[in-house]
Amino acid sequence: MKIRKELWFGFSLMAVILLTIVVMTPWGNLTNGHIGLLMLALVVVTIMLGFPTAFTLMGMGVFFAWLAYRSVNPDLAVRQVLDLMVQRTYSVMSNDVLIAIPLFVFMGYLVERAALIERLFKSLHLAMARIPGSLAVATIVTCAIFATATGIVGAVVTLMGLLAFPAMLRAGYSTSLSAGAITAGGCLGILIPPSVLLIVYGATAGVSVVQLYAGAFFPGLMLAALYVGYVIVLVKLKPSLAPKLPESELRVPLPPSLDPLAARRRNAFTGLVVALGGRSFGVPARTVWGQFFVVLLPALAIGSLVLVTYLGATKPAEVVDTSGLQAAGFAADQSQAADEGSANTGLAEPPADTDLQEPPGGESEAKDAGKDKAAEAAPVAGEPTKAAASAADAPQETGGVAATERLPIPNWFWIVVAIAVALIAAIYATLDWQRLEVFKMLLASFFPLAILILAVLGSIVFGLATPTEAAAVGGFGGVILAAAYRYIGHRRAHAAGAATATLRDLGNIIKESSFLTAKTTAMVCWLFVGSSIFSAAFALLGGQDIVNRWVLSMDLTPIQFLLLAQFIIFILGWPLEWTEIIVIFMPIFIPLLAHFQIDPLFFGLLVALNLQTAFLSPPVAMAAFYLKGVAPPHVTLNQIFAGMLPFMGIQLVALALLYMFPAIGLWLPQVLYK
Amino acid sequence: MQRFLLSVDKLSTFVGHAFSFIIVLLTLQISWEVFSRYALDDPHAWAFDAMIIQYGTLFMMAGAYTLAKNGHVRGDVLYGFFRPRTQATIDIVLYVLFFIPGVIALTYAGYYYAAESWAIREHSNVTADGPPIYPFKTVIPIAGLFLLLQGVVEIIRCAICLRDGAWPSREEDVEEVDVDKLKEMVHVDDVAPAAVAPGASDAR
Repeated sequence: MKIRKELWFGFSLMAVILLTIVVMTPWGNLTNGHIGLLMLALVVVTIMLGFPTAFTLMGMGVFFAWLAYRSVNPDLAVRQVLDLMVQRTYSVMSNDVLIAIPLFVFMGYLVERAALIERLFKSLHLAMARIPGSLAVATIVTCAIFATATGIVGAVVTLMGLLAFPAMLRAGYSTSLSAGAITAGGCLGILIPPSVLLIVYGATAGVSVVQLYAGAFFPGLMLAALYVGYVIVLVKLKPSLAPKLPESELRVPLPPSLDPLAARRRNAFTGLVVALGGRSFGVPARTVWGQFFVVLLPALAIGSLVLVTYLGATKPAEVVDTSGLQAAGFAADQSQAADEGSANTGLAEPPADTDLQEPPGGESEAKDAGKDKAAEAAPVAGEPTKAAASAADAPQETGGVAATERLPIPNWFWIVVAIAVALIAAIYATLDWQRLEVFKMLLASFFPLAILILAVLGSIVFGLATPTEAAAVGGFGGVILAAAYRYIGHRRAHAAGAATATLRDLGNIIKESSFLTAKTTAMVCWLFVGSSIFSAAFALLGGQDIVNRWVLSMDLTPIQFLLLAQFIIFILGWPLEWTEIIVIFMPIFIPLLAHFQIDPLFFGLLVALNLQTAFLSPPVAMAAFYLKGVAPPHVTLNQIFAGMLPFMGIQLVALALLYMFPAIGLWLPQVLYK
Repeated sequence: MQRFLLSVDKLSTFVGHAFSFIIVLLTLQISWEVFSRYALDDPHAWAFDAMIIQYGTLFMMAGAYTLAKNGHVRGDVLYGFFRPRTQATIDIVLYVLFFIPGVIALTYAGYYYAAESWAIREHSNVTADGPPIYPFKTVIPIAGLFLLLQGVVEIIRCAICLRDGAWPSREEDVEEVDVDKLKEMVHVDDVAPAAVAPGASDAR
């Protein structure tokens, strides 16, 4: 009887809490503070019963706030409670941090409905075909990118369950490895910014969301890299878990117009150069020029990055703004890191310029975003209408600013140039026609999404826009993305009437996304209304004081305190969801941080990483249930749980790493906002 | 009775849908504001207030809609494993104990809060010459009333469920994870899952 077991788990948890209350409460001399703690324990028990959390918190908060006021002045109590309540509600309504939530959620729903996940998965998989366990690795990467852009765990896990799960099972991958890759990957969106979790934490703890985003970026990437590393090592050790795919599955059909060229030259670059020289073997010149332009993109991208680095490195010293330099170094790091992983496909090039393959709508998007990433000189972050200024303008603008007095070129710049030249050489030496096709597929799926994310994130982190503004413009970009992909889809199905069909689709997408946004926002923000009333009551009763005194009396070192706090959050993650944990328990932990001299920003990063486990820990592992909902019938829930366990272990490893090397998270915010 | 329940559902849904389009407005307004500030060099002092008012109205007025669709987050350790009758018992008790007093208090307090604001024709003080804020504060009691109405309907639902042993039906709505819709998006057939072969010929 499985159901019995589940119920037992919940009931025994509740019994433990209630028993603790009965034993620990000094029934003889009950102070207000003890009532506060009582309230906290009661609320956990009641939430576990399953009533909507927002109203549980609101109702309890009202009652206990009344108790607190009554103990001071019974005549005024009712009035004071009402005032407290409406003022707390209004402060949530006029909260300038939470306002970013509906906008990011809206952007997420729009991107989700752009229907590009299938292409994304396919192209990433082909690009990574040579890596051991390529399907699982591609699944994690797809999940990470898509979940980051959308932030909707349920949808990502379901989509990948429909798309990648059958593909992996058919290729003979082990069920639990496949399930683990999908569920763990799908949850990354909650950690990697722009994520709603960090906004909620920022609003609760009073930490700048901008700094949280800057801080969570590398821990998120680290976790994703650890997942990928784990899969690769595991498959190397036990190849039977993920058999190699047959070569026939990895062939990309070449467009017939290029066949004559491909038959004569293996290398696409030299082939196209020769064709341009006049020996085109009947291939139309337009096709050749188009292909050649695509081929040039990696070189152009790397070249413009080097240019930006140069401009940043030799910027006149009196200009205080060093963001250009940071940006360039940062972007270069990224593309190098990615290149080392898969240099042979040349997929890591941020295309600073657009190309012929780009969808019509995505073009302005990519151009604009590329500009944003390549050179922070351009002030407008992700504003498509302004994208008329082409990417090439950006370096020129910087050049204009910097032309006054240049610093001497530092030595490290030449190293960067050398690396860039080596990269370009490596890319073109290995670029055969197959890889060119894969690269074009990536251009149409991976890069637009990556650029959207980086543009939104970059404009926030480099201070060009507030998170709210970046989210709104990102939503605008989401509409364009959805329009572009739907249009391409319709064009492929039937050329006639594609525009009207796209418009109809777009109307539907915006309507549905608005409705879903309204529901999600209402869910989160009403929870905030409830919890702010509740935590006011908790503070009024003096529960906070008791907790503070109790913790301080234990005389912990900061390290012990951090471990204890993270352990409590980890345990709470089993029965509760992340929203509840943050809005109810963070107000209790945050005031203690000052005493232990812990940076609330660092604490937030640890919490965000820790709460990844909340998604994977049974019995409330939402990810597992979403996957089970779409998995083939022979896959059991236990297999999925078994697959998730190693990934939960990796999350704990990542937590320990971040904990031992806080610089992973704090380096970027310190560099940017010291 | 079922007709009454569904018509209140419909009302809440209609209100929620109507106000949910604010998100489109909000997106456009902020995008325009960013454009206006950077490209036209013409920022607006009222932009921040306008943003806040739209956001606050959006989520407050969607509260009843979310309740009608059972969209408020629940702690799901035990609830999902209970029989419908047990679920209804828990819900009805807690609706009466927490929800009704809480929401009535909110509506009542909100009414006087808004009335005071109307009396002094309060303007926002974020900027020197802020827009009027009293309509915004009026949202609190109105949202509270809709929420209360929907709460009463939910209580009746619980009662019906206690009597019949099964939950009465709700109206359909867009779901965040709608498996059928998502299936459409990735071209998967239940009959022949082979259609998703990686690198299949329909790649281009």
